[in-house]
Amino acid sequence: MNSASPLKPTRPFHLRRIGIIATHTFTQLVRMKVFYFLAFFAVVVIGANFLELPTHASPENAGTELLYSIKSTSLGCMSIFSLVLGVVATGLLLPKDVEDRTLYTILAKPVPRLDYLVGKLCGVALLIFLSLLAMDLLMNLVLQPRMTAVLERQLEFARQRDATEATLERISADVRALGPTWSLQGAVLVVFLRSLLIASLALLLSTFSTSTLFTAIVGFLVLFAGFFQAEARDAWFGHHGGVAQVGRLIMTVLLPDMQFYNLVDAVIEGKPLKAIHLGMSIASTAFYVVTYTFASWLIFARKEF
Amino acid sequence: MEAAVEIDRLVKVFKPQLRGRELLAVDQVSITIAPGEVYGLIGPNGSGKSTTMKALLGLVAPTSGTCRIFGADSLAVDSREQVGFLPENPYFYKHLTGEETLAFYGKLCGLRGQTLKDRIGELLELVDLTGARDRRLGGYSKGMLQRIGLAQALIQEPRLVILDEPTAGVDPIGSRQIRDLIFALRERGITVFLCSHLLEQVQEVCDRVGIIFRGKMVREGRLEDLLSIEDQTEVVLKDASPELLEEIQRLVAQAEGAEWVRSGRPRTTLERLFLRETSRRPD
Repeated sequence: MNSASPLKPTRPFHLRRIGIIATHTFTQLVRMKVFYFLAFFAVVVIGANFLELPTHASPENAGTELLYSIKSTSLGCMSIFSLVLGVVATGLLLPKDVEDRTLYTILAKPVPRLDYLVGKLCGVALLIFLSLLAMDLLMNLVLQPRMTAVLERQLEFARQRDATEATLERISADVRALGPTWSLQGAVLVVFLRSLLIASLALLLSTFSTSTLFTAIVGFLVLFAGFFQAEARDAWFGHHGGVAQVGRLIMTVLLPDMQFYNLVDAVIEGKPLKAIHLGMSIASTAFYVVTYTFASWLIFARKEF
Repeated sequence: MEAAVEIDRLVKVFKPQLRGRELLAVDQVSITIAPGEVYGLIGPNGSGKSTTMKALLGLVAPTSGTCRIFGADSLAVDSREQVGFLPENPYFYKHLTGEETLAFYGKLCGLRGQTLKDRIGELLELVDLTGARDRRLGGYSKGMLQRIGLAQALIQEPRLVILDEPTAGVDPIGSRQIRDLIFALRERGITVFLCSHLLEQVQEVCDRVGIIFRGKMVREGRLEDLLSIEDQTEVVLKDASPELLEEIQRLVAQAEGAEWVRSGRPRTTLERLFLRETSRRPD
Protein backbone atom coordinates (compact mmCIF):
# COMPACT_ATOMS: atom_id res chain seq x y z
CA MET A 1 0.00 0.00 0.00
CA ASN A 2 2.73 2.40 0.92
CA SER A 3 4.71 3.39 -2.14
CA ALA A 4 7.04 5.77 -0.28
CA SER A 5 9.91 3.38 0.19
CA PRO A 6 13.09 4.91 -1.32
CA LEU A 7 14.23 6.47 1.99
CA LYS A 8 13.77 3.30 4.05
CA PRO A 9 15.08 2.44 6.55
CA THR A 10 14.77 5.78 8.32
CA ARG A 11 18.32 6.37 9.41
CA PRO A 12 19.54 9.75 10.61
CA PHE A 13 21.79 11.97 8.51
CA HIS A 14 20.23 11.05 5.20
CA LEU A 15 21.75 13.42 2.66
CA ARG A 16 18.74 13.56 0.33
CA ARG A 17 16.35 14.34 3.13
CA ILE A 18 18.74 16.99 4.48
CA GLY A 19 18.94 18.41 0.96
CA ILE A 20 15.12 18.63 0.76
CA ILE A 21 14.93 20.58 4.03
CA ALA A 22 17.91 22.75 3.08
CA THR A 23 16.41 23.61 -0.32
CA HIS A 24 13.10 24.42 1.30
CA THR A 25 14.78 26.65 3.92
CA PHE A 26 16.66 28.43 1.15
CA THR A 27 13.41 29.00 -0.77
CA GLN A 28 11.71 30.22 2.40
CA LEU A 29 14.43 32.80 3.07
CA VAL A 30 14.56 33.91 -0.56
CA ARG A 31 10.79 34.45 -0.53
CA MET A 32 11.23 36.45 2.69
CA LYS A 33 13.07 38.83 0.35
CA VAL A 34 16.48 38.72 2.04
CA PHE A 35 18.08 39.11 -1.39
CA TYR A 36 16.94 42.74 -1.37
CA PHE A 37 20.15 43.29 0.56
CA LEU A 38 22.05 42.57 -2.65
CA ALA A 39 20.51 45.64 -4.29
CA PHE A 40 21.68 47.71 -1.31
CA PHE A 41 25.12 46.14 -1.63
CA ALA A 42 25.28 46.96 -5.33
CA VAL A 43 24.48 50.61 -4.61
CA VAL A 44 27.15 50.77 -1.87
CA VAL A 45 29.88 49.15 -3.98
CA ILE A 46 29.13 51.18 -7.08
CA GLY A 47 28.95 54.29 -4.88
CA ALA A 48 32.33 53.45 -3.34
CA ASN A 49 33.74 53.25 -6.87
CA PHE A 50 32.94 56.91 -7.43
CA LEU A 51 33.94 58.11 -3.98
CA GLU A 52 36.34 61.05 -4.04
CA LEU A 53 38.60 60.42 -1.06
CA PRO A 54 40.98 63.01 0.37
CA THR A 55 44.35 61.65 -0.70
CA HIS A 56 47.58 61.70 1.30
CA ALA A 57 49.40 59.55 -1.18
CA SER A 58 52.21 60.72 -3.39
CA PRO A 59 51.49 60.91 -7.15
CA GLU A 60 53.12 57.53 -7.77
CA ASN A 61 50.56 55.93 -5.44
CA ALA A 62 47.55 57.82 -6.75
CA GLY A 63 44.29 55.85 -6.87
CA THR A 64 45.24 53.17 -4.39
CA GLU A 65 42.97 54.63 -1.67
CA LEU A 66 40.00 54.00 -3.93
CA LEU A 67 40.98 50.34 -4.31
CA TYR A 68 41.28 50.02 -0.52
CA SER A 69 37.92 51.73 -0.16
CA ILE A 70 36.12 49.42 -2.60
CA LYS A 71 37.52 46.32 -0.90
CA SER A 72 36.99 47.61 2.61
CA THR A 73 33.39 48.69 1.93
CA SER A 74 32.55 45.47 0.12
CA LEU A 75 34.05 43.13 2.69
CA GLY A 76 32.52 45.19 5.50
CA CYS A 77 29.07 44.86 3.94
CA MET A 78 29.63 41.15 3.34
CA SER A 79 30.63 40.65 6.98
CA ILE A 80 27.62 42.53 8.36
CA PHE A 81 25.15 40.86 6.00
CA SER A 82 26.46 37.35 6.56
CA LEU A 83 26.68 37.69 10.35
CA VAL A 84 23.23 39.24 10.70
CA LEU A 85 21.72 36.65 8.39
CA GLY A 86 23.59 33.83 10.13
CA VAL A 87 22.28 34.81 13.55
CA VAL A 88 18.82 36.20 12.80
CA ALA A 89 17.70 33.81 10.06
CA THR A 90 18.91 30.73 11.89
CA GLY A 91 17.52 31.96 15.19
CA LEU A 92 14.18 32.76 13.59
CA LEU A 93 13.52 29.59 11.60
CA LEU A 94 13.20 27.02 14.36
CA PRO A 95 10.97 29.00 16.80
CA LYS A 96 8.79 30.03 13.85
CA ASP A 97 8.26 26.41 12.84
CA VAL A 98 7.29 25.57 16.41
CA GLU A 99 4.98 28.56 16.75
CA ASP A 100 3.27 27.91 13.40
CA ARG A 101 3.07 24.16 14.15
CA THR A 102 4.68 23.39 10.81
CA LEU A 103 7.28 21.50 12.82
CA TYR A 104 4.58 19.04 13.94
CA THR A 105 3.74 18.12 10.39
CA ILE A 106 7.43 17.69 9.51
CA LEU A 107 8.34 15.59 12.54
CA ALA A 108 5.15 13.55 12.08
CA LYS A 109 6.72 12.38 8.82
CA PRO A 110 9.63 9.92 8.94
CA VAL A 111 12.15 12.73 9.48
CA PRO A 112 14.86 12.28 12.14
CA ARG A 113 15.35 15.42 14.20
CA LEU A 114 19.05 15.54 13.31
CA ASP A 115 18.16 15.74 9.60
CA TYR A 116 15.77 18.59 10.30
CA LEU A 117 18.41 20.59 12.21
CA VAL A 118 21.20 19.96 9.73
CA GLY A 119 18.83 20.76 6.84
CA LYS A 120 17.89 24.10 8.38
CA LEU A 121 21.56 24.98 8.95
CA CYS A 122 22.52 23.93 5.43
CA GLY A 123 19.68 26.06 4.00
CA VAL A 124 20.95 29.17 5.78
CA ALA A 125 24.54 28.31 4.79
CA LEU A 126 23.49 27.94 1.14
CA LEU A 127 21.79 31.32 1.20
CA ILE A 128 24.81 33.03 2.78
CA PHE A 129 27.18 31.29 0.38
CA LEU A 130 25.25 32.28 -2.75
CA SER A 131 24.77 35.83 -1.46
CA LEU A 132 28.49 36.19 -0.77
CA LEU A 133 29.25 34.70 -4.17
CA ALA A 134 27.04 37.30 -5.84
CA MET A 135 28.58 40.10 -3.77
CA ASP A 136 32.09 38.81 -4.47
CA LEU A 137 31.35 38.78 -8.19
CA LEU A 138 30.06 42.34 -8.07
CA MET A 139 33.06 43.50 -6.04
CA ASN A 140 35.45 41.95 -8.56
CA LEU A 141 33.54 43.46 -11.47
CA VAL A 142 33.92 46.91 -9.94
CA LEU A 143 37.47 46.37 -8.70
CA GLN A 144 39.04 44.95 -11.87
CA PRO A 145 38.55 47.98 -14.19
CA ARG A 146 39.45 50.35 -11.35
CA MET A 147 42.65 48.46 -10.66
CA THR A 148 43.51 48.47 -14.38
CA ALA A 149 42.95 52.23 -14.53
CA VAL A 150 45.11 52.87 -11.44
CA LEU A 151 47.85 50.60 -12.81
CA GLU A 152 47.90 52.38 -16.17
CA ARG A 153 48.05 55.77 -14.47
CA GLN A 154 50.91 54.73 -12.19
CA LEU A 155 52.86 53.06 -14.97
CA GLU A 156 52.44 56.15 -17.13
CA PHE A 157 53.68 58.36 -14.30
CA ALA A 158 56.65 56.04 -13.71
CA ARG A 159 57.54 55.98 -17.42
CA GLN A 160 57.51 59.79 -17.50
CA ARG A 161 60.12 59.62 -14.73
CA ASP A 162 62.19 57.10 -16.75
CA ALA A 163 61.65 54.23 -14.34
CA THR A 164 63.54 51.00 -14.96
CA GLU A 165 61.86 47.80 -16.10
CA ALA A 166 62.32 46.36 -12.59
CA THR A 167 60.55 49.37 -11.06
CA LEU A 168 57.68 49.04 -13.51
CA GLU A 169 57.33 45.38 -12.64
CA ARG A 170 57.32 46.19 -8.91
CA ILE A 171 54.62 48.86 -9.43
CA SER A 172 52.60 46.41 -11.48
CA ALA A 173 52.86 43.73 -8.79
CA ASP A 174 52.00 46.16 -5.98
CA VAL A 175 48.89 47.49 -7.74
CA ARG A 176 47.71 44.07 -8.85
CA ALA A 177 47.93 42.95 -5.21
CA LEU A 178 45.26 45.56 -4.47
CA GLY A 179 42.92 44.22 -7.14
CA PRO A 180 40.98 40.96 -7.44
CA THR A 181 43.44 38.35 -6.14
CA TRP A 182 43.08 34.79 -4.90
CA SER A 183 43.75 36.18 -1.41
CA LEU A 184 40.73 38.43 -1.78
CA GLN A 185 38.57 35.43 -2.70
CA GLY A 186 40.06 33.65 0.31
CA ALA A 187 39.03 36.60 2.51
CA VAL A 188 35.45 36.22 1.26
CA LEU A 189 35.67 32.52 2.12
CA VAL A 190 36.80 33.48 5.65
CA VAL A 191 33.76 35.79 5.94
CA PHE A 192 31.57 32.84 4.95
CA LEU A 193 33.24 30.50 7.45
CA ARG A 194 32.75 33.01 10.26
CA SER A 195 29.05 33.41 9.47
CA LEU A 196 28.64 29.62 9.23
CA LEU A 197 30.12 29.27 12.70
CA ILE A 198 27.80 31.94 14.09
CA ALA A 199 24.80 30.33 12.34
CA SER A 200 25.55 26.99 14.00
CA LEU A 201 25.80 28.77 17.34
CA ALA A 202 22.43 30.47 16.68
CA LEU A 203 20.97 27.06 15.87
CA LEU A 204 22.18 25.75 19.23
CA LEU A 205 20.74 28.76 21.05
CA SER A 206 17.40 28.49 19.27
CA THR A 207 16.91 24.90 20.46
CA PHE A 208 16.31 26.18 23.99
CA SER A 209 15.69 29.91 23.55
CA THR A 210 12.11 31.11 23.39
CA SER A 211 12.79 34.31 21.47
CA THR A 212 14.75 35.29 18.41
CA LEU A 213 15.87 38.45 20.21
CA PHE A 214 17.57 36.41 22.94
CA THR A 215 19.27 34.24 20.30
CA ALA A 216 20.47 37.32 18.40
CA ILE A 217 21.80 39.11 21.48
CA VAL A 218 23.61 36.06 22.88
CA GLY A 219 24.89 35.17 19.41
CA PHE A 220 26.47 38.57 18.91
CA LEU A 221 27.82 38.57 22.49
CA VAL A 222 29.58 35.26 21.86
CA LEU A 223 30.94 36.66 18.60
CA PHE A 224 32.27 39.72 20.44
CA ALA A 225 33.67 37.67 23.34
CA GLY A 226 35.33 35.34 20.84
CA PHE A 227 37.71 38.10 19.80
CA PHE A 228 39.14 38.06 23.34
CA GLN A 229 39.02 34.31 23.85
CA ALA A 230 42.77 33.75 23.60
CA GLU A 231 43.62 36.57 26.01
CA ALA A 232 40.91 35.55 28.48
CA ARG A 233 42.00 31.92 28.32
CA ASP A 234 45.60 32.83 29.19
CA ALA A 235 44.62 35.39 31.83
CA TRP A 236 42.12 33.18 33.65
CA PHE A 237 43.72 29.79 33.43
CA GLY A 238 47.42 30.46 32.81
CA HIS A 239 49.51 27.80 31.10
CA HIS A 240 50.36 25.29 33.81
CA GLY A 241 48.54 22.86 36.08
CA GLY A 242 45.86 20.25 35.57
CA VAL A 243 42.90 22.47 36.53
CA ALA A 244 44.20 25.23 34.25
CA GLN A 245 44.43 22.78 31.35
CA VAL A 246 40.85 21.60 31.91
CA GLY A 247 39.66 25.20 32.19
CA ARG A 248 41.43 26.13 28.96
CA LEU A 249 39.96 23.12 27.21
CA ILE A 250 36.40 23.89 28.34
CA MET A 251 36.72 27.52 27.33
CA THR A 252 38.17 26.56 23.96
CA VAL A 253 35.32 24.14 23.28
CA LEU A 254 32.58 26.53 24.37
CA LEU A 255 33.86 29.77 22.93
CA PRO A 256 35.41 30.03 19.46
CA ASP A 257 38.57 32.04 19.03
CA MET A 258 37.46 34.66 16.51
CA GLN A 259 41.08 35.77 15.98
CA PHE A 260 41.33 32.90 13.49
CA TYR A 261 39.05 34.93 11.25
CA ASN A 262 40.92 38.23 11.62
CA LEU A 263 42.50 37.90 8.20
CA VAL A 264 40.40 40.26 6.19
CA ASP A 265 42.13 43.56 7.08
CA ALA A 266 45.51 42.26 5.93
CA VAL A 267 44.01 41.17 2.62
CA ILE A 268 42.45 44.62 2.10
CA GLU A 269 45.94 46.08 2.50
CA GLY A 270 47.12 43.81 -0.29
CA LYS A 271 48.94 41.23 1.83
CA PRO A 272 48.65 37.63 0.69
CA LEU A 273 46.46 35.23 2.64
CA LYS A 274 48.62 32.38 3.82
CA ALA A 275 47.33 28.86 3.26
CA ILE A 276 48.08 27.92 6.87
CA HIS A 277 45.86 30.72 8.16
CA LEU A 278 43.02 29.78 5.79
CA GLY A 279 43.46 26.14 6.80
CA MET A 280 43.20 27.05 10.49
CA SER A 281 39.99 29.02 9.82
CA ILE A 282 38.51 26.04 8.00
CA ALA A 283 39.55 23.62 10.76
CA SER A 284 38.23 25.91 13.49
CA THR A 285 34.91 26.33 11.65
CA ALA A 286 34.54 22.60 11.08
CA PHE A 287 35.23 21.87 14.74
CA TYR A 288 32.72 24.40 16.11
CA VAL A 289 30.01 23.71 13.53
CA VAL A 290 30.15 19.97 14.31
CA THR A 291 30.30 20.60 18.09
CA TYR A 292 27.44 23.11 18.12
CA THR A 293 25.27 21.02 15.78
CA PHE A 294 25.84 17.93 17.90
CA ALA A 295 24.91 19.88 21.05
CA SER A 296 21.82 21.24 19.23
CA TRP A 297 20.76 17.71 18.38
CA LEU A 298 21.27 16.51 21.98
CA ILE A 299 18.87 19.22 23.19
CA PHE A 300 16.42 19.07 20.27
CA ALA A 301 16.13 15.27 20.36
CA ARG A 302 14.70 15.47 23.89
CA LYS A 303 12.52 18.47 23.26
CA GLU A 304 8.75 18.07 23.53
CA PHE A 305 6.25 19.99 21.46
CA MET B 1 -4.51 -9.05 13.57
CA GLU B 2 -1.95 -6.37 14.49
CA ALA B 3 -3.62 -3.26 15.93
CA ALA B 4 -3.21 0.00 14.03
CA VAL B 5 -2.86 1.90 17.30
CA GLU B 6 -2.04 0.45 20.67
CA ILE B 7 -1.77 2.87 23.56
CA ASP B 8 -1.10 1.04 26.79
CA ARG B 9 -1.53 2.75 30.17
CA LEU B 10 -0.17 6.05 28.90
CA VAL B 11 0.77 8.59 31.56
CA LYS B 12 2.10 12.03 30.74
CA VAL B 13 3.20 14.46 33.40
CA PHE B 14 4.43 17.90 32.39
CA LYS B 15 7.06 19.16 34.77
CA PRO B 16 7.47 22.90 35.21
CA GLN B 17 10.85 24.29 34.15
CA LEU B 18 11.40 26.34 37.30
CA ARG B 19 8.57 26.66 39.81
CA GLY B 20 4.97 25.60 39.80
CA ARG B 21 3.09 22.34 40.10
CA GLU B 22 3.40 19.30 37.90
CA LEU B 23 0.54 18.78 35.48
CA LEU B 24 -0.89 15.32 34.98
CA ALA B 25 -2.15 15.65 31.42
CA VAL B 26 -2.86 11.98 30.67
CA ASP B 27 -3.51 9.37 33.32
CA GLN B 28 -3.40 5.64 32.52
CA VAL B 29 -5.10 5.94 29.13
CA SER B 30 -5.31 2.81 27.01
CA ILE B 31 -6.70 2.74 23.48
CA THR B 32 -6.62 0.03 20.85
CA ILE B 33 -7.74 0.79 17.31
CA ALA B 34 -8.18 -1.97 14.77
CA PRO B 35 -7.06 -1.46 11.14
CA GLY B 36 -9.73 0.26 9.04
CA GLU B 37 -11.58 1.61 12.06
CA VAL B 38 -12.56 5.25 12.58
CA TYR B 39 -11.97 6.08 16.23
CA GLY B 40 -13.01 9.33 17.86
CA LEU B 41 -11.46 10.66 21.02
CA ILE B 42 -13.71 13.27 22.54
CA GLY B 43 -13.39 15.48 25.55
CA PRO B 44 -13.48 19.10 26.62
CA ASN B 45 -10.56 21.49 26.02
CA GLY B 46 -7.52 20.59 28.10
CA SER B 47 -8.69 17.04 28.77
CA GLY B 48 -5.58 15.41 27.29
CA LYS B 49 -6.72 14.61 23.73
CA SER B 50 -3.92 16.44 21.94
CA THR B 51 -1.27 15.19 24.38
CA THR B 52 -2.38 11.61 23.69
CA MET B 53 -2.06 12.24 19.96
CA LYS B 54 1.34 13.89 20.34
CA ALA B 55 2.56 10.93 22.39
CA LEU B 56 1.39 8.65 19.60
CA LEU B 57 3.40 10.71 17.11
CA GLY B 58 6.52 10.87 19.28
CA LEU B 59 6.22 14.63 19.71
CA VAL B 60 6.08 14.13 23.48
CA ALA B 61 7.66 11.26 25.38
CA PRO B 62 5.38 9.23 27.70
CA THR B 63 6.17 9.51 31.39
CA SER B 64 5.11 5.87 31.57
CA GLY B 65 3.23 3.48 29.33
CA THR B 66 3.74 2.79 25.65
CA CYS B 67 2.34 3.87 22.30
CA ARG B 68 2.64 1.65 19.25
CA ILE B 69 1.66 2.14 15.63
CA PHE B 70 1.26 -1.09 13.67
CA GLY B 71 3.51 -2.69 16.25
CA ALA B 72 6.31 -0.10 16.08
CA ASP B 73 7.20 2.04 19.09
CA SER B 74 5.96 5.55 18.33
CA LEU B 75 9.20 7.08 19.62
CA ALA B 76 11.02 5.41 16.72
CA VAL B 77 11.10 7.48 13.53
CA ASP B 78 10.25 4.42 11.45
CA SER B 79 6.77 4.25 13.03
CA ARG B 80 5.87 7.45 11.15
CA GLU B 81 6.24 5.79 7.75
CA GLN B 82 2.62 4.67 8.09
CA VAL B 83 1.14 7.81 9.64
CA GLY B 84 -0.39 10.99 8.30
CA PHE B 85 -1.08 13.79 10.76
CA LEU B 86 -3.20 16.92 10.56
CA PRO B 87 -2.65 19.16 13.59
CA GLU B 88 -5.25 21.50 15.02
CA ASN B 89 -5.28 24.86 13.18
CA PRO B 90 -2.40 23.96 10.88
CA TYR B 91 -0.29 26.79 9.53
CA PHE B 92 1.77 25.52 6.67
CA TYR B 93 4.51 27.50 4.97
CA LYS B 94 2.67 30.49 3.54
CA HIS B 95 5.33 31.09 0.90
CA LEU B 96 4.64 27.76 -0.77
CA THR B 97 1.84 27.03 -3.22
CA GLY B 98 -0.53 24.11 -2.66
CA GLU B 99 1.41 22.00 -5.12
CA GLU B 100 4.80 22.94 -3.61
CA THR B 101 3.51 22.10 -0.14
CA LEU B 102 2.52 18.60 -1.16
CA ALA B 103 5.79 18.19 -3.09
CA PHE B 104 7.79 19.18 0.01
CA TYR B 105 6.03 16.69 2.30
CA GLY B 106 6.04 14.02 -0.39
CA LYS B 107 9.79 14.33 -0.87
CA LEU B 108 10.30 14.05 2.89
CA CYS B 109 8.49 10.72 2.68
CA GLY B 110 10.73 9.55 -0.14
CA LEU B 111 8.44 10.16 -3.10
CA ARG B 112 9.82 11.71 -6.26
CA GLY B 113 9.52 11.99 -10.00
CA GLN B 114 6.34 11.01 -11.80
CA THR B 115 5.04 9.06 -8.76
CA LEU B 116 5.12 12.25 -6.72
CA LYS B 117 3.52 14.33 -9.49
CA ASP B 118 0.73 11.82 -9.94
CA ARG B 119 0.13 11.61 -6.21
CA ILE B 120 -0.04 15.40 -5.89
CA GLY B 121 -2.57 15.61 -8.73
CA GLU B 122 -4.65 12.83 -7.21
CA LEU B 123 -4.70 14.43 -3.74
CA LEU B 124 -5.46 17.92 -5.01
CA GLU B 125 -8.42 16.46 -6.80
CA LEU B 126 -9.49 14.51 -3.72
CA VAL B 127 -9.52 17.65 -1.55
CA ASP B 128 -10.97 19.77 -4.35
CA LEU B 129 -8.02 22.16 -4.62
CA THR B 130 -6.90 21.53 -8.20
CA GLY B 131 -7.88 25.08 -9.14
CA ALA B 132 -5.76 26.52 -6.32
CA ARG B 133 -2.66 24.38 -6.85
CA ASP B 134 -0.51 27.33 -7.98
CA ARG B 135 -1.80 29.76 -5.38
CA ARG B 136 0.35 30.45 -2.31
CA LEU B 137 -1.03 29.20 0.98
CA GLY B 138 -0.97 32.75 2.33
CA GLY B 139 -4.05 33.34 0.16
CA TYR B 140 -5.93 30.19 1.22
CA SER B 141 -9.07 30.31 3.36
CA LYS B 142 -9.27 28.40 6.63
CA GLY B 143 -11.20 25.56 5.01
CA MET B 144 -8.72 25.33 2.15
CA LEU B 145 -5.84 25.17 4.65
CA GLN B 146 -7.53 22.30 6.45
CA ARG B 147 -8.03 20.48 3.17
CA ILE B 148 -4.44 20.98 2.01
CA GLY B 149 -3.45 19.81 5.50
CA LEU B 150 -5.43 16.67 5.00
CA ALA B 151 -3.81 16.18 1.60
CA GLN B 152 -0.30 16.47 3.10
CA ALA B 153 -1.31 13.97 5.78
CA LEU B 154 -2.22 11.50 3.01
CA ILE B 155 0.75 12.15 0.73
CA GLN B 156 2.64 8.90 1.40
CA GLU B 157 -0.55 6.79 1.40
CA PRO B 158 -0.42 6.14 5.14
CA ARG B 159 -2.34 3.30 6.76
CA LEU B 160 -3.21 5.49 9.73
CA VAL B 161 -4.40 9.11 9.67
CA ILE B 162 -4.46 11.16 12.85
CA LEU B 163 -6.69 14.22 12.75
CA ASP B 164 -6.66 16.74 15.59
CA GLU B 165 -9.79 18.90 15.46
CA PRO B 166 -9.98 18.67 11.65
CA THR B 167 -12.94 21.03 11.32
CA ALA B 168 -11.95 23.61 13.92
CA GLY B 169 -12.86 27.07 12.64
CA VAL B 170 -14.20 25.74 9.34
CA ASP B 171 -17.65 26.77 8.04
CA PRO B 172 -20.38 24.08 7.74
CA ILE B 173 -19.74 23.50 4.03
CA GLY B 174 -16.01 23.06 4.57
CA SER B 175 -16.76 20.91 7.58
CA ARG B 176 -19.01 18.70 5.47
CA GLN B 177 -16.29 18.34 2.82
CA ILE B 178 -13.80 17.20 5.45
CA ARG B 179 -16.33 14.76 6.85
CA ASP B 180 -16.89 13.35 3.37
CA LEU B 181 -13.14 12.92 3.04
CA ILE B 182 -13.09 10.93 6.29
CA PHE B 183 -15.82 8.71 4.89
CA ALA B 184 -13.74 8.28 1.74
CA LEU B 185 -10.73 7.24 3.86
CA ARG B 186 -12.85 4.66 5.64
CA GLU B 187 -14.00 3.33 2.27
CA ARG B 188 -10.35 2.86 1.32
CA GLY B 189 -9.62 0.92 4.52
CA ILE B 190 -7.49 3.63 6.11
CA THR B 191 -7.56 3.78 9.90
CA VAL B 192 -8.60 7.19 11.24
CA PHE B 193 -7.88 8.44 14.74
CA LEU B 194 -9.96 11.57 15.16
CA CYS B 195 -9.81 13.97 18.03
CA SER B 196 -12.56 16.51 18.47
CA HIS B 197 -14.90 18.21 20.86
CA LEU B 198 -17.59 18.54 18.17
CA LEU B 199 -19.77 15.66 19.28
CA GLU B 200 -22.14 15.60 16.34
CA GLN B 201 -19.24 15.28 13.93
CA VAL B 202 -17.74 12.39 15.86
CA GLN B 203 -21.12 10.70 16.07
CA GLU B 204 -21.51 10.93 12.33
CA VAL B 205 -18.17 9.45 11.26
CA CYS B 206 -16.80 7.24 14.03
CA ASP B 207 -17.17 3.52 14.59
CA ARG B 208 -15.90 3.71 18.14
CA VAL B 209 -15.38 6.55 20.57
CA GLY B 210 -13.51 7.20 23.79
CA ILE B 211 -14.45 9.95 26.20
CA ILE B 212 -11.49 11.50 27.96
CA PHE B 213 -11.95 13.84 30.89
CA ARG B 214 -9.22 15.40 33.03
CA GLY B 215 -6.69 13.03 31.52
CA LYS B 216 -8.63 9.85 32.24
CA MET B 217 -10.59 7.65 29.87
CA VAL B 218 -14.05 7.67 31.39
CA ARG B 219 -15.98 5.72 28.72
CA GLU B 220 -15.08 3.79 25.60
CA GLY B 221 -16.88 1.54 23.16
CA ARG B 222 -18.78 1.15 19.91
CA LEU B 223 -20.88 4.18 19.13
CA GLU B 224 -24.08 2.17 18.69
CA ASP B 225 -23.60 0.52 22.09
CA LEU B 226 -22.87 3.76 23.84
CA LEU B 227 -25.76 5.71 22.34
CA SER B 228 -28.58 3.20 22.28
CA ILE B 229 -31.12 3.36 25.12
CA GLU B 230 -31.52 -0.25 26.13
CA ASP B 231 -35.22 -0.25 27.08
CA GLN B 232 -36.62 1.85 24.23
CA THR B 233 -37.48 1.13 20.58
CA GLU B 234 -37.80 3.77 17.86
CA VAL B 235 -40.30 3.42 15.00
CA VAL B 236 -40.32 6.08 12.26
CA LEU B 237 -43.37 6.17 9.95
CA LYS B 238 -43.89 8.10 6.76
CA ASP B 239 -47.29 9.58 5.77
CA ALA B 240 -49.02 7.88 8.71
CA SER B 241 -52.65 8.93 9.14
CA PRO B 242 -53.95 10.11 12.57
CA GLU B 243 -56.17 7.03 12.61
CA LEU B 244 -53.20 4.71 12.20
CA LEU B 245 -51.33 6.47 14.99
CA GLU B 246 -54.37 6.17 17.23
CA GLU B 247 -54.56 2.46 16.47
CA ILE B 248 -50.90 1.93 17.31
CA GLN B 249 -51.31 3.86 20.57
CA ARG B 250 -54.30 1.72 21.44
CA LEU B 251 -52.34 -1.49 20.78
CA VAL B 252 -49.46 -0.26 22.94
CA ALA B 253 -51.86 0.58 25.76
CA GLN B 254 -53.27 -2.95 25.59
CA ALA B 255 -49.83 -4.59 25.67
CA GLU B 256 -48.51 -5.58 29.05
CA GLY B 257 -45.41 -3.73 30.29
CA ALA B 258 -45.09 -1.49 27.20
CA GLU B 259 -45.51 2.29 27.42
CA TRP B 260 -46.05 4.95 24.72
CA VAL B 261 -43.34 7.51 25.46
CA ARG B 262 -43.78 10.12 22.75
CA SER B 263 -44.70 10.78 19.15
CA GLY B 264 -44.05 13.71 16.90
CA ARG B 265 -42.15 14.84 13.80
CA PRO B 266 -38.46 13.96 13.64
CA ARG B 267 -36.28 17.04 13.43
CA THR B 268 -33.42 17.78 11.15
CA THR B 269 -30.29 19.41 12.51
CA LEU B 270 -29.50 23.10 12.11
CA GLU B 271 -26.41 22.08 10.16
CA ARG B 272 -28.39 19.97 7.69
CA LEU B 273 -30.89 22.80 7.27
CA PHE B 274 -28.04 25.26 6.65
CA LEU B 275 -26.39 22.99 4.10
CA ARG B 276 -29.68 22.34 2.32
CA GLU B 277 -30.56 26.02 2.13
CA THR B 278 -27.13 27.24 1.07
CA SER B 279 -26.72 24.57 -1.58
CA ARG B 280 -30.08 25.54 -3.11
CA ARG B 281 -29.16 29.20 -3.56
CA PRO B 282 -27.82 30.19 -6.95
CA ASP B 283 -24.39 31.94 -6.94
